[in-house]
Amino acid sequence: MAEKERLDELTGTREDLASIKNEAFSTVESCRTQEDIEAARVKLLGKKGLITGIFKSISGAEAEEKPVIGEIGNLLRELINEGLQAKSETMAEEALVASLAENEVDVTLPGRKTALGHKHLISQVIDEIVSIFLGLGYRIETGPEVELDYYNFEALNTPVYHPARSLQDTFYIQREDPEHDNSNDILLRTHTSPVQVRVMEASSPPLYVISPGKAYRRDEIDATHAAMFFQVEGFAVDKGLNMGHLKGTLEVFVRKLFGKDRKVRFRPHFFPFTEPSAEVDVSCFACDSAGCSVCKGSGWLEILGCGMIDPNVLKYVGYDPDEFTGFAFGMGAERVAMMRYGIEDLRVLTENDLRFLRQF
Amino acid sequence: MRVSLEWLSDYVEYSMPPGKLADLLSLSGTAVDRVIEMGAETTGVVVGEVLEVKDHPNADKLKIAVVYDGFENHEIVCGAPNLFVGMKSAFARVGASFSGLSGGKLKGAKIRGIASDGMLCSGAELGINDDASGILELGEGTPPGTNLSDIAPTRDVIFDLEITPNRPDCMSMLGVAREVAALTGARLVPPSYECNESGSPAGDLAKVIIEDLEGCPRYSARVMTGIEIGPSPLWMQRRLVAAGLRPINNVVDITNYVLIELGQPLHAFDLDLLAENTIVVRKADFGEQITTLDGVERQLDDKTLVIADRKRPVALAGIMGGEDSEVSGDSTRILIESAHFDPTSIYLTSKRLGIRSESSSRFERGSDPEAAPHGAARAARLMNQLAGGTISRGEIDVYPRRTVPVTIDLRPSRANEILGTRMTTDEMAGILEGLEIAVEKGEKLRTTVPSFRWDLEREIDLIEEIGRIYGLDKIEEAIPVGGGLNAGLTRKQKLIGSIDDTLLAQGLSEVVVYSFMNESDLDLLRIPSYNPMRRALPVINPLTETGGVMRTTLLPGMLNTALRNTNRGNRDIAIFERGRVFLSNDPGELPEEIEVVGILLAGVRGLKNWSVETNENYDFFDLKGIMENISDVLGVSVSYKPEDRAYLAPGRSAGMFIDGDMVGVIGQLHPEIAGSYGLDGEYYFGEFMTGPLVEASRENTYKKVGRFPNVKVDIALIVEETLPASTVLEKLTDLGAELLVSARLFDVYQGNQIPGGKKSLAFALEFGSADGTLTDEQAHGELERIIKEMENGLGAELRGRINL
Ligand SMILES: [Zn+2]
Repeated sequence: MAEKERLDELTGTREDLASIKNEAFSTVESCRTQEDIEAARVKLLGKKGLITGIFKSISGAEAEEKPVIGEIGNLLRELINEGLQAKSETMAEEALVASLAENEVDVTLPGRKTALGHKHLISQVIDEIVSIFLGLGYRIETGPEVELDYYNFEALNTPVYHPARSLQDTFYIQREDPEHDNSNDILLRTHTSPVQVRVMEASSPPLYVISPGKAYRRDEIDATHAAMFFQVEGFAVDKGLNMGHLKGTLEVFVRKLFGKDRKVRFRPHFFPFTEPSAEVDVSCFACDSAGCSVCKGSGWLEILGCGMIDPNVLKYVGYDPDEFTGFAFGMGAERVAMMRYGIEDLRVLTENDLRFLRQF
Repeated sequence: MRVSLEWLSDYVEYSMPPGKLADLLSLSGTAVDRVIEMGAETTGVVVGEVLEVKDHPNADKLKIAVVYDGFENHEIVCGAPNLFVGMKSAFARVGASFSGLSGGKLKGAKIRGIASDGMLCSGAELGINDDASGILELGEGTPPGTNLSDIAPTRDVIFDLEITPNRPDCMSMLGVAREVAALTGARLVPPSYECNESGSPAGDLAKVIIEDLEGCPRYSARVMTGIEIGPSPLWMQRRLVAAGLRPINNVVDITNYVLIELGQPLHAFDLDLLAENTIVVRKADFGEQITTLDGVERQLDDKTLVIADRKRPVALAGIMGGEDSEVSGDSTRILIESAHFDPTSIYLTSKRLGIRSESSSRFERGSDPEAAPHGAARAARLMNQLAGGTISRGEIDVYPRRTVPVTIDLRPSRANEILGTRMTTDEMAGILEGLEIAVEKGEKLRTTVPSFRWDLEREIDLIEEIGRIYGLDKIEEAIPVGGGLNAGLTRKQKLIGSIDDTLLAQGLSEVVVYSFMNESDLDLLRIPSYNPMRRALPVINPLTETGGVMRTTLLPGMLNTALRNTNRGNRDIAIFERGRVFLSNDPGELPEEIEVVGILLAGVRGLKNWSVETNENYDFFDLKGIMENISDVLGVSVSYKPEDRAYLAPGRSAGMFIDGDMVGVIGQLHPEIAGSYGLDGEYYFGEFMTGPLVEASRENTYKKVGRFPNVKVDIALIVEETLPASTVLEKLTDLGAELLVSARLFDVYQGNQIPGGKKSLAFALEFGSADGTLTDEQAHGELERIIKEMENGLGAELRGRINL
């Protein structure tokens, strides 16, 4: 501002130069476009411009006037340049804002997504179950779905004529004798437990194994029965394992899967390949154990079968049951999915309606 | 097993609410599936006799009955189908209260214009049983006017128990009572087997011969004379109904009652219908036949154990009686059979003949040989009390080879090791003794198992008993250390996971399909006889809805999935499945199980979006791109060559090869095949084995990246139309060696600007070197060389080049 004051002071006695000054400033002030700015620059600072005119007038001026006129010219040139520069920047900024405002987008329009697929609910449930056990130091093993009677029944302490066999209706591929079961018969495995035997045969303790896979039962298909289903089998064989380890492991598992507020209980049960055996219930998450239609009033939901591996099973694979003990457990992935999401009809899981698959 | 607590309390003096008892049983291994509250206090309901039945003037299905209640006649309206003149039923007077009224009192009413002065009730309405199909039919001997609550208590709680296969002893009131006694310490009160005998010795009246001691180790019998057949008392009927059985007459009801009470199946023969009053237990002769009580005539063979008289089979041993020795209204002399049969023989016969009965379901799991005489005596005692019979003196008991009681040694330390407990030897002995197991204390516990617990054979069986009675809830929890180095996913498992992830990321959803297909699918797909896909494994006993063979390809399952979806309006299909196919081997050998991934695409590609003008349909190159992304993720080089498949469109199918081995096929589904599955439009199907891909996968390697930009050039080459693009690309890559860092085909052109029979392929090339010293001149020199070689080697002609 010092320049402006000095200019006003110098032009105070020169009316002619003061009027040039005023015209120059109003020209700068009146600029509205970049074109105006260019025109103003020519009009004021061009070869025939007003300011150029001031410098030209120096030669004909009185000697003592010469420095004054020169200084006025310099100050004016400086102030005009600054003024035009400021004008130009303001305009550019206003133009950008105006153009952005003009091209405003509707931010509520959907984004441009790439299609993402959906993993089947059953696979998601299996992944979740398996990952809990991987975290507990387990590894994954799988086995054949078309299996020998030996692995499916006999080596699991379920010899021919054992009453437990009548519990399961089995799909057969090959029978030595149509009336009598035989350990060479070929069948579709009725559970994932044969993997236990195969893994124990092939490797030695310590074993901490989780084995998800398909199993088959010859059930007429309806809302609660499927002829093919997914089981997750787990087992551990090591020195010194007992029922307490089984309980601790499954309690952690159930509460990680269903929430840490869930309660877990163990009911003694019977399975041919474990002894002692138990079924595991989780407190109903629909009613928090008060009793409701989901848990049929009991407050509990059955979720797993388990037990200490029967010494006979260990003997079958050549382990000394006095040296190694183990536990095993198994659950149906469908049941977990159904309980968790309130699915009433199993068949939606194999219908694969895309409208169903996309929900998960 | 349905257990009436009213009945159970005859045998064990427990005192606790039903809910608590149910928990105790459930937590000790006898799961209470359901607790059924039966009935309420009944008042104003008496035995009524139907004197007359008239038509209702205004309703076809209703009748008017005149009922005598011991004091007077009442006219009532009744719609029961089993109403008849002379019938005794349960009559509720106006003002009565019973279970079905839920707290209210019965009012007089007009039904279709006719006044009804009371009502006849069904068992369900009274809470006696769950039969609502008609009104309660009472025995002839019950006098009208008798209060119903005097002859049948209607208030009861029923436990529906799940009995595990190892505990046949719990399939009886006495067995459950033993459990309750062991759990609560309450006193067990077994029923009385005392017989008030008189008259001729049983041995003079009947004779029993066992020819097959393997099949029938013991046969006990009692002989009754002077029996009067009639209905059993209502309390017994109610108990039988509560147990799920249908009352018939006093003799049959008593055999059923004792079956439920002791778990010992019985059979009553009309002694006068047995030739020479003799029972012979033997294998049937081939060609013999019997008509069983269910009215079916059955051909027998020499594997079937029968009860015969001197002439013919009169019962299928342990399974079902025969019609022509059945107790009827005229029977007076009866032989009560109470035997012990070999479980396996019963199991096999029942399975072979397809009959299951209350009797066979107990024998096949194993019965208590020592209980056989008790069963006969108990039935005889009840027939004496309730059917007017005389018990002949003495019992018949053929039992030549006595069963030796089982002894088991138990190491208390072992029990604690298995259970994770710190129980004392005394605690363990106490639990076992509560289960009627005799214990001799020493360093080991020497135990003797009661005959009804034949499931206890080994030390581990006793440990289980100790654990379940001690209470699993009391066992302290611990977490094992886990598998250490062996824990976690293998590299292969992770790679399989990344195949799934890559598919999902490209918009394909996973489906889960049954592992079966129909043999006819192979014909529909036109699979030639020499193709391995023909090696389908048949299932002996398939379900019709799932198909009769194991699948050898995922295609039929995926097509059926697509069809179900298109029928439901989901026309855009992008699905995959990872699962096994099964190829048969020689007989006796397990099949090959191969994990494959199947992919099916149809309809609009990707997501429909407002910002895209036209949504394009999936085509061959979408499918191939998906496959290429998978091999890129796995770091596997897969090449594609034309490969014909009868189910794929000619000229639009390719094989996937790794090092010359085919690992999969992709292509457009043949439109005729699509049509034969009910689909129209273009479908793209690919199927590959995961094993070889994962096997060929290599860890990524590091290549230094130069600090300067690569030199980029686009070139277009004119080649023969028939020359596969992959050949040109491979040649380019080979020639490019070190300096050509990437070559990407970005355009294919045929048209006026190039000669007929030729095509133009445009490639984006990038040259570079790790040390960053490659100059423009070097790169272009290299390009010149490559182009020259392409011209010489493939007859290619440079159409143009653009330096970028
Ligand atoms: Zn609930």
